[in-house]
Amino acid sequence: MSTSLPPRHGPDPAPEPPQPAALAPAPHNAVERRDALKLMGASLALAAVAGCDEAQEHGHPLYAPARAAHAEVSDAEYATVLELDGLSRGVFVRTRNGHAVKVQGNPRHPASLGATDVFAEASVLSLHDPNRSRRIRRDGRPVPPAMLDAAMERLRADLSARGGQGLRILTGPVSSPTIGRVMGAVLAAFPEARWHQHDPLSDDAALEAAMRAYDQPLISVPDPGRAGAILCIGADLLGQAPGHLRHAREWINAREAGRAPRLIVAEATPSITGARADLRIPLHPAEAEPFARAVAAALGVEGLAARAEHPAAGDVAALLRASPGAVVVAGLGQGAAVHALAHAMNAHLGAARRLLPHPLVRPEPMAASLVELAADMAAGRVTHLLMLGTNPAYDAPAALGFAEALRDLPFTLHLGFRQDETARLCHWHLPQPHPLEAWGDSRAFDGTPAIRQPATATLAEEARGEVELLSALLGAPLGAYQAVQETWRETWGEASFPARWAAALEEGLAGEAPPPLDLSLRPGWDRPSPPMPAGMAAVFAPDPHIRAGQEAHDAWLQEMPRPLTKITWGNAALMAPAMMVELGLAPGDEVELELGGRRVLAPCWPLPGHAAGCVTLPLGSGRRAGGPVGEGRGFDAYVLRPADGAWSAPGLSFRPTGRNRPPITTDSHHRLDPVEAIRSVLPGEVLPQPERDASLYRDWPYPGHAWGMAIDIDACIGCNACAMACQAENNVPVVGPLAVQQGREMHWLRVDRYHHGVDENPGASFQPVPCMHCEQAPCEPVCPVNATLHDHEGLNLMVYPRCVGTRTCSNNCPYKVRRFNWADHRRLLDTPARNPDVTLRTRGVMEKCTYCIQRITTARSQASTEGRPLRDGEVETACQRACPTRAITFGDINDPDSAVSRAKRNGRHYALLGQLGTRPRTTYLARVRTEVGS
Amino acid sequence: MSDITVPVAEAALRPGAWSFRLSVAACAMGIIVLAASVAAVLVWGVGVWGNNIPHVWGFDLIAYAWWIGIANAASLFASILVLRRHGLRTAVNRFAEAAALAAILAAGFYPILHLGRAWLFYWTLSYPSYTGLWPQFGSALVWDFWGIMSHIIVTSLFWYIGLIPDLATMRDRAAMAGRTTLARAYGLLALGWRGSVAHWHRHQAAYRMVAALVLPLLLWAQTVVALEFATTVVPAWHQARLPLHVIVTGLPSGLGIVLALAAVLRVALSLERFIDDKDMDLLGQLVACAALAAGLAYAHELLVGFLEEDPTTRAALAARVLGDGATAYWGAVLLVALLPQLLWSATLRRHALATVPIGLLAAAGVWLDRWSIVVDGLLRPHLPSMSRGYSPSLAEWGLLGGTIALFGLVLLLFGRVIPAVSMYETRHEESEAEAEEEER
Repeated sequence: MSTSLPPRHGPDPAPEPPQPAALAPAPHNAVERRDALKLMGASLALAAVAGCDEAQEHGHPLYAPARAAHAEVSDAEYATVLELDGLSRGVFVRTRNGHAVKVQGNPRHPASLGATDVFAEASVLSLHDPNRSRRIRRDGRPVPPAMLDAAMERLRADLSARGGQGLRILTGPVSSPTIGRVMGAVLAAFPEARWHQHDPLSDDAALEAAMRAYDQPLISVPDPGRAGAILCIGADLLGQAPGHLRHAREWINAREAGRAPRLIVAEATPSITGARADLRIPLHPAEAEPFARAVAAALGVEGLAARAEHPAAGDVAALLRASPGAVVVAGLGQGAAVHALAHAMNAHLGAARRLLPHPLVRPEPMAASLVELAADMAAGRVTHLLMLGTNPAYDAPAALGFAEALRDLPFTLHLGFRQDETARLCHWHLPQPHPLEAWGDSRAFDGTPAIRQPATATLAEEARGEVELLSALLGAPLGAYQAVQETWRETWGEASFPARWAAALEEGLAGEAPPPLDLSLRPGWDRPSPPMPAGMAAVFAPDPHIRAGQEAHDAWLQEMPRPLTKITWGNAALMAPAMMVELGLAPGDEVELELGGRRVLAPCWPLPGHAAGCVTLPLGSGRRAGGPVGEGRGFDAYVLRPADGAWSAPGLSFRPTGRNRPPITTDSHHRLDPVEAIRSVLPGEVLPQPERDASLYRDWPYPGHAWGMAIDIDACIGCNACAMACQAENNVPVVGPLAVQQGREMHWLRVDRYHHGVDENPGASFQPVPCMHCEQAPCEPVCPVNATLHDHEGLNLMVYPRCVGTRTCSNNCPYKVRRFNWADHRRLLDTPARNPDVTLRTRGVMEKCTYCIQRITTARSQASTEGRPLRDGEVETACQRACPTRAITFGDINDPDSAVSRAKRNGRHYALLGQLGTRPRTTYLARVRTEVGS
Repeated sequence: MSDITVPVAEAALRPGAWSFRLSVAACAMGIIVLAASVAAVLVWGVGVWGNNIPHVWGFDLIAYAWWIGIANAASLFASILVLRRHGLRTAVNRFAEAAALAAILAAGFYPILHLGRAWLFYWTLSYPSYTGLWPQFGSALVWDFWGIMSHIIVTSLFWYIGLIPDLATMRDRAAMAGRTTLARAYGLLALGWRGSVAHWHRHQAAYRMVAALVLPLLLWAQTVVALEFATTVVPAWHQARLPLHVIVTGLPSGLGIVLALAAVLRVALSLERFIDDKDMDLLGQLVACAALAAGLAYAHELLVGFLEEDPTTRAALAARVLGDGATAYWGAVLLVALLPQLLWSATLRRHALATVPIGLLAAAGVWLDRWSIVVDGLLRPHLPSMSRGYSPSLAEWGLLGGTIALFGLVLLLFGRVIPAVSMYETRHEESEAEAEEEER
């Protein structure tokens, strides 16, 4: 070991100074580059240059406006993919001045169908996050990239000598064929090395059940469009399950076509799927398997190894039997036995579902894989640990002792997006490129492959992807672009590659989903699990917005109220309201939760419909590193999670601390009853349309367009995608937890949640509330300075420079959709992530929804350039574009044939607070009551 | 020159006693707090307050309505005295006017400071501008701007015109004492008053005319403040009775303050002879009457409110009266309508230890009433999803405390520098009394 370096650099020898030849510009051709490498005797410094993609290896824009005024390619759209738990959703990324400013769904991609979720929308913010990791670090200090290359070269030499013994690579779930290919090469070159995958949200039980039932690592993809009934056992089909955007679209399409599939949801923690269920059964985790078993028995499924009873099973089985194509979906957190029972029931029912090969490169039980790695680390069998895009020091169960074992390893390297908990414990930290700025490939939940192309130049110059790092281990550093191209050149063949490559970048798809498997159930699939001990149970669940903690540093996601709890900036121990009363707890009371000897302090919060006898502990909060946005928000549920990564655990105990520290929430009521805001009808029922109120005021004439919106409450699943899209589109500021607590959040579009029915098991409705753009807007006449006005197309608009900030308009807005700039947010907003088409607002002025007037203007000038009238559907508001269930319709109400005019002629049409005579342009379609028994 | 008014003039001219200096020092500290609070709002914006959506207004409008109420009741009282040539006016109308003026000054802070962009307040004025934009005359806030401007002008005029002969007396006395600079300052303000018959004639005409002008303005100012609420669609505010309610419940605050001031002045400046028991009786009974009227207003509110057909309005009132707003509401009823009824007792109303707390508590009660309207009026909005709490910040308390200090300082300085009791009126009253005796 050399001692020529200061001691802080640890045991690595000093890098050689760069050779003059290595400082020459890198050759563009990868093959040439490798030749050059050989010629120069694999100069260490060159690897630093060669490891990165060059500037011209940029993505290929889909739509770059051809008009001369905007000829620069910087205003363009790119078709690419973003991953969630390793599985991709197709998106279009809109760039302005070369910066990615907005993400929208790719209509052709099977996991998007044109819609987005909150995570895709929020990725624009994480791309531009100032707290991203940008430098290569050794023991926490930035070092020149050459030092890393030198270290990698030594590592390679070191490991090659012993066949990779002691080398472990830990990644997140990998669906990328390219990473899989390079990883395969690494494992071949280092036969003693091992590859582990870790995902705190991995559904290992589903994999285990697939092996039991079919002896293949396959997945079961339900088709809500064809199913007559869907039984979700702990599955948040519309909210968080893989393919949720597609399932939501299929579900609403069937519902609108009058084939409303019966949605039966049995779950412990209320989910947005449960909120829309026709029959919802609160289910303690210990009851899940007996319930599934009882339903299977009632259906007459053969091969059951045991029988069980559940009071609701008979009715559920009857509903399933009566509905052709009924499908059973077991979700995240259910045991392998429940998943296997679901497979068996589906096979028995002839369910509308596809059995598909697993989309991951190497499906494996990840919790077990991590346990094994931790055991090897503790036993000293691991010398070199590379952690790529994963953060086990935070999101591994604390009981596993992973972080402690990590400290003792001789060589640890972390490749990640932030200097997170793991990065802080590692010798080396490498910044990872954001998915919007790097080449890659991926598979969707159904296996559909797609190329991920950069939509923007990289914002972290030193960032390296998995491929760059792994190929450096092989001694042949490879840019991600070359690696992805090589993968697909091999797949498609040299002849068809150029055309198919171009098409893949154009469409955002690199092929089709694999054909469904036709398999029959293996005997002996049913292996009952031992019954769960009685007593209070902890249920671990992904947070609806920050998931397992990966998104905890995205301020948009933190500040957006969670769909059902309306909690922001943190989490709380969620439980049934009745149970809180029983325990003598008030909302927000702090309790010390203890499980298996480990303790954590958490505020408790009532959630109507929560199963009794258990407490939901949302994962992902209580981050200890990674940046100021996520650190210290809420409590860390991983502290209590059992070492095997279990989703529920008995034996939870409580001790109130006597303090009241409620979570930050935008809802002071815990439950709201829909007095008149939410109307509902029976299928086919028509709401009486009220006569127009007499008014002293004359109507405004609208000779041209008159914009209007209709929002279908029946389609809304409360996923918040619209609100997040609005935030991204309209430069809506993040105000921070204190301001949210004060009631100063700025979201132009909020989603109100109403509960109906008893507290033990209520239904819930969601109501997105943007500005109503009232025809007789109460805000307008009260403004002393004429700062809020009607425009010639009926938009109720704010003239920001004219506003003096009396806030009278908000006082007189019955819908309370106006937002006031209590502070100056411009400094934080004026980043490349802002939409340059929308003004930033100063302190002291009022703002609100504009129906995306910038989109109207763009479409109008486009139409006028092409010398044609605007077409219906040409203007899509950001919220409308994002909605997975297409609940929002927007258009010209002067045109009787427009989609919005048709929606407003629907028998379910009503105006919110219509009795006030405001005559809103935004109106609603009533929810259809399809609940069992209605 | 009569010697009767010597103590009054001396009170103004003699060096301050320690209690006076202490009070001025305390108020000056308050002014520092006021300056800090104003600076905070201007530098960091109204975000330093506790407001939110839906509570876009809070302490600002509460305090505004409250100060206007005090000013109104005080100048209403003074102008009635002038117009009716009531005997009491000699004693209390000067400081009633001063209290009104100080209250208007304090109120004047709020409508400007509460703006998001306070430096653009003049956009509510109709002034010729290159933009060609006019204020929107349909907005109650524009009416309010006119209301407060007229109020300030008329109240100051009323107070100043009444002061002119006394300023001349001060000039003469200061000149006799050899304090030339002070004499010149008083002389400038006395507008060359020489006490000629023509001067007296014009003075009386002007004084009574301005006093007559005060009356409609008082209704106007309070009504406009109330209309800012009544013209909205907020269920608890959207009521025709609101202006009447605000005017009537505002009276005990101003009268209570005048009562408390009279009691304090009597003791502090040894003016028992000028503000005698008879005066205190009259004033006390007036406060009790105003409280009775306020009590009727509350009864009317409850009666009409619960007979209201619209369930939203009923629910809004119920939340104020019986729900989360009950403390403020019943606190207001107790302090504004019930407590001043004690003043029907002659013993109590002649005792400063009773009148001062009762008067001040009546004012505090009216503040609670304004809280009940402005804040608790939003307990039941149209859409329950957007109902939030409101808790004032330090900057708001600072502004409230600071304006109270300003009010106190203006009155203290006025008591010291300017004759607290109208000298010429007192002299006139004395000579009238002497004439009456001679006639007998």
